[in-house]
Amino acid sequence: MKQCRLEFGRAWAECLSLAVSLALCWTAPAAAAEKKIDFNREIRPILSNNCFKCHGPDEKERQAGLRLDRQEGAAAELPSGAKAVVAGQIAASALVERITTADADAKMPPPASGKTLKPEEIEKLKRWIDEGAEYRGHWSFLPPVRVEPPPINHEPLVRTPIDRFLLARLEAEGLEPSPPADPVTLVRRVTFDLTGLPPTPAEVDTFVADPSPAAYEALVDWLLNSPRYGEHMARYWLDAARYGDTHGLHFDNERALWKYRDWVIDAFNRNLPFDRFTVEQLAGDLLPNPTPEQRIATGFNRCNVSTSEGGSINEEVLVRYAVDRVETTSTVFMGLTMGCCVCHDHKFDPFTQKDFYRLYAFFGSVAESAMDGNALAPPPIIKVPTPEEETRQKTLNEQIAQVRGQIAAELAKVEYVEPNQPTVSAEPREFVWIDDDTPAGAKQEGGWTFVSAPSPVLSGSKASTRKSAGLSQHFFTGAKDGLRVGEGDKLFAYVYLDSADKPKEIMLQFNDGSWEHRATWGEDVIPWGAANSPSRQPVGALPEAGQWVRLEVDAAKVGLAPGAVINGWAFTQHDGTCFWDQAGIVTRTPQAGQSFDSQLAWETYERAQSKSTLSAPLQEALKADAATRKDEQTKLLRDHFLEHVYGKTREVFDPLHKQADELNKQLAALDAAIPTTMVMAEAPQPRETFILVRGAYDKHGEKVTAGTPAVLPPLPKDAPPTRLGLAQWLVDPSHPLTARVTVNRFWQQYFGSGIVKTAGDFGAQGEWPTHPELLDWLATEFVGSGWNVKHIQKLIVMSASYQQSSRSTPQLIERDPENLLLARGPRFRMDAEAVRDSALAVSGLLVERLGGRSVKPYQPEGLWEAVGFLGSNTSIYKQDPGDALYRRSLYTFWKRTSPPASLTTFDAPSRETCTVRRARTNTPLQALVLMNDVQYVEAARRLAERMMTEGGATPEEQIVYAFRLATARRPAADELAVLAGVYGAYLADYQAKPDAAAKLLAVGDSKRNALLDASQLAARTMVANLILNLDETITKE
Amino acid sequence: MPTTAGAVEGMPPNIHPHLPPTDTAMDPRQEYALLETRRHFFGRCAAGIGTAALSSLLNPSLLSADAPAGDDKTFGVLPALHFAPKAKRVIWLFMADAPSQLDLYDYKPKMQDWFDKDLPDSVRNGQRITTMTSGQARFPIAPSLFKFQQYGRHGAWLSELLPHTGSIADDITIVKSVHTEAINHDPAITFIQTGSQLPGRPSTGAWLSYGIGSPNQDLPAFVVLHSRWSSKAGSQALFSRLWGAGFLPTKHQGVALRSSGDPVLYLSNPPGVDAAARRRMLDGLAALNQKRLAELGDPEITARIAQYEMAYRMQTSVPELTDISQEPQHVLDLYGPEAKDPGSFAYNCLLARRLAERGVRFTQVFIRGWDHHGGLPGNIRMQAKDVDQAGAGLVKDLKQRGLLDDTLVVWGGEFGRTIYSQGTLTKDNYGRDHHPRCFTMWFAGGGVKPGQVYGETDDFSYNIAQNPVHVHDVNATLMHCLGIDHERLTYRFQGRDFRLTDIEGKVVRDILT
Repeated sequence: MKQCRLEFGRAWAECLSLAVSLALCWTAPAAAAEKKIDFNREIRPILSNNCFKCHGPDEKERQAGLRLDRQEGAAAELPSGAKAVVAGQIAASALVERITTADADAKMPPPASGKTLKPEEIEKLKRWIDEGAEYRGHWSFLPPVRVEPPPINHEPLVRTPIDRFLLARLEAEGLEPSPPADPVTLVRRVTFDLTGLPPTPAEVDTFVADPSPAAYEALVDWLLNSPRYGEHMARYWLDAARYGDTHGLHFDNERALWKYRDWVIDAFNRNLPFDRFTVEQLAGDLLPNPTPEQRIATGFNRCNVSTSEGGSINEEVLVRYAVDRVETTSTVFMGLTMGCCVCHDHKFDPFTQKDFYRLYAFFGSVAESAMDGNALAPPPIIKVPTPEEETRQKTLNEQIAQVRGQIAAELAKVEYVEPNQPTVSAEPREFVWIDDDTPAGAKQEGGWTFVSAPSPVLSGSKASTRKSAGLSQHFFTGAKDGLRVGEGDKLFAYVYLDSADKPKEIMLQFNDGSWEHRATWGEDVIPWGAANSPSRQPVGALPEAGQWVRLEVDAAKVGLAPGAVINGWAFTQHDGTCFWDQAGIVTRTPQAGQSFDSQLAWETYERAQSKSTLSAPLQEALKADAATRKDEQTKLLRDHFLEHVYGKTREVFDPLHKQADELNKQLAALDAAIPTTMVMAEAPQPRETFILVRGAYDKHGEKVTAGTPAVLPPLPKDAPPTRLGLAQWLVDPSHPLTARVTVNRFWQQYFGSGIVKTAGDFGAQGEWPTHPELLDWLATEFVGSGWNVKHIQKLIVMSASYQQSSRSTPQLIERDPENLLLARGPRFRMDAEAVRDSALAVSGLLVERLGGRSVKPYQPEGLWEAVGFLGSNTSIYKQDPGDALYRRSLYTFWKRTSPPASLTTFDAPSRETCTVRRARTNTPLQALVLMNDVQYVEAARRLAERMMTEGGATPEEQIVYAFRLATARRPAADELAVLAGVYGAYLADYQAKPDAAAKLLAVGDSKRNALLDASQLAARTMVANLILNLDETITKE
Repeated sequence: MPTTAGAVEGMPPNIHPHLPPTDTAMDPRQEYALLETRRHFFGRCAAGIGTAALSSLLNPSLLSADAPAGDDKTFGVLPALHFAPKAKRVIWLFMADAPSQLDLYDYKPKMQDWFDKDLPDSVRNGQRITTMTSGQARFPIAPSLFKFQQYGRHGAWLSELLPHTGSIADDITIVKSVHTEAINHDPAITFIQTGSQLPGRPSTGAWLSYGIGSPNQDLPAFVVLHSRWSSKAGSQALFSRLWGAGFLPTKHQGVALRSSGDPVLYLSNPPGVDAAARRRMLDGLAALNQKRLAELGDPEITARIAQYEMAYRMQTSVPELTDISQEPQHVLDLYGPEAKDPGSFAYNCLLARRLAERGVRFTQVFIRGWDHHGGLPGNIRMQAKDVDQAGAGLVKDLKQRGLLDDTLVVWGGEFGRTIYSQGTLTKDNYGRDHHPRCFTMWFAGGGVKPGQVYGETDDFSYNIAQNPVHVHDVNATLMHCLGIDHERLTYRFQGRDFRLTDIEGKVVRDILT
C-alpha cells in the first residue's frame, strides 16, 4: 500500500500542474482537443460509472479477471489472453473493441446493466488510450496542495484570495463577473447567511448609509459575534449529526440529548477550532480528565436511531448502531460512502470490507445496552447541573446531614425501658375508621346522608343511609391518615337493610389509589370488576334484613397486601334502602395516632408480617433471636424502634423527620430538574470485532482490530487505537479529506452548492470539484489558521464573488444554469428553519432565547396520533403554550418518525440518518403552509399590527414598512400600487363582513391588539400574508 | 373570479406536468435534462413576462412537444416506460402489524391432530426466532380455530373470517409463499416499504412518484390513508419513513389524506378567508412574483408562481375528492356499513377508488391492529371484520367501473405468524409470534391473473415448500405491472445508483397475465 501512495503522490503533483489548464477547458470542448485527457476528471468517472461494478475494487464481483480501477489491472493479460488496455494502441486494446462492437453478446457495458456509453465517452476512452492510458490516484485521497492564488486581469475586484481563483476561471471562460449587489440586497444576504434571520430596517439603513468595504467588514464581524450565528450554524451540523429528540425506532419515545444540541450552538459561538470540535464530539470522553462539556459533546455518536422493540436480537441491534456510527463519521468528516463496505468491498472506491470493520472496531465497544429501554436517557449518561444547581444540591445535602446529626444526638439521649404491660398489644384489634363521620380530610362524594334515631343507628349518634332505585353509591377519597393494612387483616362494616325495601346487591369498595378492590354480597347485578377476582370478590348472600349485620372480608382477598394504605371507601347498593355504620379494620398494625409502646411487641408484630416493609439489615436483625443478635443489630433495632415506632418519642422525632422529608423532597425535585444527556463511554470489557460475512450480524469472518483504511494515511504514531486516535487521525494535517470536506460544506451553505457538489461523496462516483485549487487553498488555509471556522466563513462572505449581484441574464443562464462558475451571486430559497424564523422575526413574534429543552409549536392535530405506538410517550402531540410557540426552529421538538410537518414540507430531513446536503424543492404544499399554517397567519396578523402601530400614518407607508421588514427593500411604485389595490379591496370586503374579520384576527394564540380597528387590521393581515408569501421573502438573493 | 392585479386572468385549469423541477440533490444526468427544460422555460420568460406570456407558460398545449406520446408516457424522470404497462396505478391495502396467515388463508387441516404437540425441531431447523418466544420452554402447535371452505373456480381455501374475500376469489391471486428477512415490526415494515430494514431509503410510492409521476396535476401522485381498527391488541407504530422520500427530493413523499381536520395539511384557508379572498391575494402575489422574475431572470420564480396556482386548485380538488355525498347507496353497500365513517377502513377503501378514478398513481391504505401475540381468536375476528368486506368491495367496485383492468390492488402485511402458540395455549385461545419465513398476500387487477393460488408452505405453514416470493420480488412485480423495470429506475445518491429492490428482486411472472 505504501507503494501505492507514493504513486498517488506523484500523480497528484502532475495533476496539479495541469490543474489550471484543465480548468480552462471545462466547458470548452473545442479547446480541450489540444489538451491531454485527464484521467481523474474525464476517464475515471466513465469507468467508475459503467465498469467498476464488475471490474472494480470488489474482488467477489469481478468478472473475467479484469480490474479497471488500477493501471496494472487494466494492462494485465487476461485469462482470455486479451489485454483490456494497451497504452498507445487503440487497436490492441480489447476494451475499445468491446465498447464499440455491434455484437450484443460481447457489448460492454452489457445491455442488461441498463448502462450505455455515449459516443463522446467512447471517443474520450480511445483518446486516453492513444495518449498513453495514464492512471492517477483519486484526487481526494491525496493531500491538498496549496497553490498561490493565480494572477488575474480583474485585479481591482479582488477582496479575498478566493476571488482570484474564481475570477481566473471566469476570465478563462470569457465570462464577466456580475456587478456588486446593491447594499440592501447585500446586507440582507449576509445577515441571513450568518444568522439565519433578516436584518431590521434600522440595520439596513445603517449599512446603506455607509456601504464601504470597512463598514461591510464591521457588519460581518458584528454578525459573526452574534449568538444567532451559533444557532444558525448549529442547524447545518445537526442535520449531519442526525440529531433528534426521539429514539427514532418503534416506540420512538423522547430522548435526552438537547444538551448536545446546545453544546453545538455554543461551540460555533465561541469559535471552537474545528479540530477540537471534532475530537471532543468523537472522543471527548477519552480525553484526559474530560470536562462535562467535553462529555456532552460525545452526544454526537449517541444521535443514531435506537430501539427497544420486543423480540429484537441484541447482537443484531448493536451491529446496526456501530454501522451507523461508522457511516456517519465517514460521511460527515471524510465525505466517504463507507456503507457499501458493510457487505462487500466498495465497488467504486479503494476500500475493502476489512477497512470498514477496522473502522467499526473503533465504535464496537460502547458501554451501552442494545435495548434503549424506551428511556429518556439510556446510559451512558451524565447529569449536567448549572453552577447554581450544584450549589443548591450541596446546601441541601448539608442541611439533610445536619438533621440526621440531630436525630442521632436525640437517639443517644433516649432512655428506653421495656414496659411490663404494653399499651399496644401484638394481638389484632379492631380499629373503627368511619363512624359518625368520615375520616379527616375525606372528600365526600355521591351524596352522604347521616341519620339519627329513630332510624337504625348502631354506635355513636349517627348512621349513613341511602335509598336507591338501581345502582348508586356514596363514597370518599383523600383521607389524611389512611388505613394501614397488615398481615391477615380483615376489613369490616355494619349494615342494616330495610326489610320493606331490600337491595339486590351491596358492595364495599376500597381505594388505595385505585378502586379495583371490591367485596360484594347478594345477586350479581352491579357490573363492576372481573368476576371472582380481587376487583369483584363475592363474599356471600345478602345479609338478613331488619337488623345490624357485620360484613367482613379479608384484605388480601380484595387485593390489598400488607403495606397497602386505604384512603377511600365506597358503600354501593343496587336498589333498596341501606343503613351503614362503624366501618374499619381488624389489625395488628398501628393506625394513625397509635403506636407501639413496647419494642418486644413491635418486634413480634414485624415478625408476623409475611412481606416486610423494613430494610434488609433490620429484617436480618429481627430474624436473629435476642441471644444471638450482634451488638450492632441490637442497636439497629433499638434505634429504629425509637426513631420511627415508639409512641413516646414521636414528638421528638416526627418534627425532625418532617424537616428531613421536606429537604429530601426539594433535593429530588432539584435532581429531576437537572438535565441528563446521553454520552459515549467505553465498555470495561472491549468487544472483539469480526468482519461480518455479507454484513450478517451472526456470521463472523476474520477477526480485525481498530485501524484506518489502507488507502488513507495510517494512525499518527502516538495516537491510541481508540476513538480518540481516530479523531486525532481525522484532524491530522496529513489527512486529505477532513478539511476539504468541511470547507466544502461551508461553501455549500453560502452558495447553495459545494465546490464538490456531492458534499457527501468525495469518492470516485462523486462530482469533480468545480475549482479544485480553490478547494485545496481553502482546506490548507483552514488547517493553517488553526481550524478557525469563523476565519474561513469570513473569507467567503468578504469575497467579491459572494458580494456580486444575483441578477441573471438569459445568456448567463444558458451558459451556466447552475451558477457553478459564480459569474453571479447566489440566489436560492432559504431552508425550512430560516423561512419560519424569518416570518417570526418580521412579525415581531420571535422569542429569542438560547438553548434549553425542545419546544412544541403549532402543528396540525392528529399527526403523531396517526402513527404513534399506543404506549409511546410521543403518541400524542401536546402543543406548548406561550413563548415556546415562537422560538427559533432549531429548538422545535424533532420526533423522528413524524418530524415537524411545516418544516419537512420545506425539505427539512427526518434526522433518522446523517444528511449533509438537503434537497431543495418547490411544491404546492409549501404554498399551502405559507398561506394557511396558523403560525404564518398569526405572523401576518402580528405584522399587520406592526404596520398600524409602527409603520406610519397612511396605508401606503405601512405597506412599505411591512415590505421592508420582509424583503429589506422598498417596493417600487408599481409594486406598491398592486399591494395598495389589494389592500383597498380587502378593506371594503372586511368592512362589509365584520364577522369574517373577527374570525381571521382570532387565529393564533397571541391576543390581537384590541385597540386597532378590526376591518383595517384584517385587510392589512391579508396584505401581510401576501408579503410573507412572496418568492423574494423566502429567498436569499 | 375577482382579480386585483389582473395578471392571471384566463389562467388555464391545468399546468403541464413538466413544471421546471427545482431539486438540487439529484443525479447529474437528470439535472442536465431538467436544466434543458428550465432553459426552455427561460427562453419563453425572457420573451417578456405578462399575462399572456405567463398563461402560455402554463398552457400544456404549448409544451406538448416535450411530452412523450403514447401509452408509455410518464410524468416523472423516466422518459418512457420500459415496457407496456398492465397497470396504471396501485392501491396497496397494508395490513400493518402482520396478520396471521394461518387463520385467514393458509389452510392446514392436518394441524388439528397436532394440538398442543411440540413443533418438530426438524421443521424449525434451528432458525432464529424472536426473543419474545425464544425463552419459551415449548413451542406447542396451535391449529387454527377457524373453519375453512373453498371458494371460486379454483377452490381457494379461505377461513370463515373472510366470506367477502371469498366472493372475489375468482378475481384475485393469493400468494401463500411470501417471505421476508426481518423478524420485528419496525425493520420488517420498513423493509417491505422501502427495500431496506434501515431508515433512509425512499418508499415504494416515492419511487413511483419520482419515476413516473402522476397524470393528475391537481392531486399528489402518492397518497396515504390511515384507518381505525377494532382489534383490542396493542398496535405497533407507523413511521413517516414508510411513505417518505428518503434521499429522493421531498416532493415525492406520500401525502397523507386525513379523515379529520384538513384532508391535506394546511389545505383550508384560515377562518375569515374564503376562496375569493384567497384568489385576490394570489393574484397580487402572482403580479409581484412575475415582476421579480422579469427583473432577476431566475426560472425558480416561474416554478413558484405555478406551484401557488396548483395549491389553489388543490383547495378545490381535494374537498371534491373527499366529498362522498353523491355515492349511491348500492355502491356504499359494497364497502359495508362503515363506508360513510371517515377514518374507517371501509371509508378509506372508497376514497382509494375515488383516487384511482382521478389517476393518482399510488394509494396506500394502512390499517394497524394485527399484532396478535395473545388472544388471537377474539382479536382477529374483529380485525377481519374491519377489512374483509371493504377490501372485497373495493375490488368489486373497481371491476364494475372497468378500473380493475388497469389498477393493481395489493393486500398484505410485513410478515406472518407462527404455528406455535406464544403464551398459554388452550382449546379456545392462543397467540402467535412473528414469522418471517412465510406469509400470505393477495393481488388483483392490473396484470395479475384472476383466480389463482400461488406458492405453497409446508404442513406447519413454517417453511415454504414451493415458489418462494421474496419481498423484493413483490416490489419488482409491482413495478413490472406499471411498466417499469425495477433494475432501471435508479437514483444516484452518495455515489451509488440505488433502487427500490436494492440488488435483488425478480418479477414473479407466474402470477401475471
